[in-house]
Amino acid sequence: MNTVSPSAAQYVGGVMQEELVENRRQQPLERQGSFGLRSPQTPDPSREATGEPDEMDKLKAKLMSAWNNVKYGWTVKSKTSFNKISPVTVLGHSYLLNSEDEVERFRLAFVSRIWLTYRREFPQLEGSTWTTDCGWGCMLRSGQMLLAQGLLVHLMPRDWAWPDVQQLTDVDFEVFRPRSPARAGGVPIPSFATPRGTNTPEKSLPSDQVPKCSQKKRPESVRDSQVEPVHHRLVTWFGDQPPAPFGIHQLVEISKSSGKKAGDWYGPSIVAHILRKAVAKTSVVHNLVVYVAQDCTVYKEDVVRLCDLSLSQTPPDPSNQAWKSVIILVPVRLGGEALNPSYIECVKNILKLDCCIGIIGGKPKHSLYFIGFQDEQLLYLDPHYCQPVVDVSQVNFSLESFHCSSPKKMPFSRMDPSCTIGFYAKNKKDFESLCSAVSEDGLCYWEKYPIFTFVEGQSQDYGLEGHSSNNSGPAAHILPPGKLGRSNNRRNSDEFVFL
Amino acid sequence: MQINYFDFCFRFRLSQLKSLIHSTDLCRLSIRKQEVAGIRSKFPNKIPVIIERYGREKYLPPLDKTKFLVPHELPMTQFVTIIRNRMALLPTQAFYLLINNGGLASMSLTMAQVYKDHQDEDGFLYMTYASQEMFGHRFPL
Repeated sequence: MNTVSPSAAQYVGGVMQEELVENRRQQPLERQGSFGLRSPQTPDPSREATGEPDEMDKLKAKLMSAWNNVKYGWTVKSKTSFNKISPVTVLGHSYLLNSEDEVERFRLAFVSRIWLTYRREFPQLEGSTWTTDCGWGCMLRSGQMLLAQGLLVHLMPRDWAWPDVQQLTDVDFEVFRPRSPARAGGVPIPSFATPRGTNTPEKSLPSDQVPKCSQKKRPESVRDSQVEPVHHRLVTWFGDQPPAPFGIHQLVEISKSSGKKAGDWYGPSIVAHILRKAVAKTSVVHNLVVYVAQDCTVYKEDVVRLCDLSLSQTPPDPSNQAWKSVIILVPVRLGGEALNPSYIECVKNILKLDCCIGIIGGKPKHSLYFIGFQDEQLLYLDPHYCQPVVDVSQVNFSLESFHCSSPKKMPFSRMDPSCTIGFYAKNKKDFESLCSAVSEDGLCYWEKYPIFTFVEGQSQDYGLEGHSSNNSGPAAHILPPGKLGRSNNRRNSDEFVFL
Repeated sequence: MQINYFDFCFRFRLSQLKSLIHSTDLCRLSIRKQEVAGIRSKFPNKIPVIIERYGREKYLPPLDKTKFLVPHELPMTQFVTIIRNRMALLPTQAFYLLINNGGLASMSLTMAQVYKDHQDEDGFLYMTYASQEMFGHRFPL
């Protein structure tokens, strides 16, 4: 499986520059082959071309859908234990769960996050037979959750919480003795959750039986009546219908330009670019852009060019103070086969930042949306739960399946090194404080090296112009591969490439 | 008794094999050291770097050449750009250089700084390139 497709291999042989440049233009198409290597469906190129999946494929897809619906249609009910004596961090806020007030604040913070999961029985994805994303769409779902969080902070008031927030389910609050493998006093404190909530599997219940919000439900305020329609509208953008701007249909459509198709697996970096394109394409969200860092580097001036509306006017008008909000996505790889343990502190520090909107990544082959941590465990929202589709075009559709009431944790050691980190800056001041926050000493360093850097200037100042602005040739100082071997000193240096 | 005999033979062979591996390792190390010494004396202003493909890499192509001699002052950003161009990668394609297969090489450093901190015992600087993993489940048929 480690080999590349022959089409990819031809680029590295002794090809001349001109050919190289030319070939790069056709690449998105050809790369399809190498991306599809692991995909559950093995595409037949001839069939691909006609776009008409035959009976066998249909049957296969149906079988797969059925299997995945069974597989992800239920979840093992295991309780998540929270330590009462060390703080749990959720997207820049910390909660010490030793008082009922703090647990309440944690509950509002956790359940108000938008939860997007696998769905089944949605309208068929164009050019395929898929009517569900069970088994393959988890990374897209995590990406949707990250974007939804960005949109929440973009559109909702700062301290917004969903007024209909459910009780937490499947949680225990315990006192863990520090530095001891065995827990002390593993006594659940039932008063913090509804008596029904602690032992009832919430997810497997039909929606009408799900314990509705608490007795402590906040009185419906005037503000809620203004804000809740926005919340509703935000969720409709993620509906599983072709017109929804951030729905699975739209995202899969956009991903076609990167050589992906319905049923393929996605990675955190590809999803970051899909989100960028989706936000750029839609007109429903105003005043928001997405910037994706390349090679773990954010070029500040490139961000400014996207955000500063005075620059985009002709002639530039410095008196115009308009500034677009920006979601900055930084795809990274924090280790080879497994997460490099020295990055654990970095990930914690990032999740402590107010401007962080979460991390999309997961366990190997199992994508998750990380929103916080406690001690040595990450707190996440899991898309691996197959729910029936909700028709978001209905007025007052239920929001219940879009919020999760059972927080789950996993150890940092199981985190897959591939992930994308998300930040949000509402205005220029926010962006500047984000820049200074991430460049703070020791925030996100491996040995002496930061995970990512925010640098002055534009990417083209760093000789990346040809590189970043699509398909022009490599920078001039690079010798064509054909001539490289023929450098001086044949004897033992001819196997070296001179730069 | 027979089992013990086989066990003995197995252990004996194993220890032989281990010492053999050890000696070939040592041998390889000294060869590499000589190679670096030679190249460093000929090109004192260049750093010897070895770029390897991550063992489980599935999306990035292999490099035709893995040994590089790079100027001290070359920034990591440009080095990455050069490697990316050699592979004809699109700018949106994930590509990461991991030093000693562990940590990301910071883009703002020069090759000399990275070399100073992370050169191997044999004198080479080792880096691994990898893209990102994809997430999903395989259908069990």
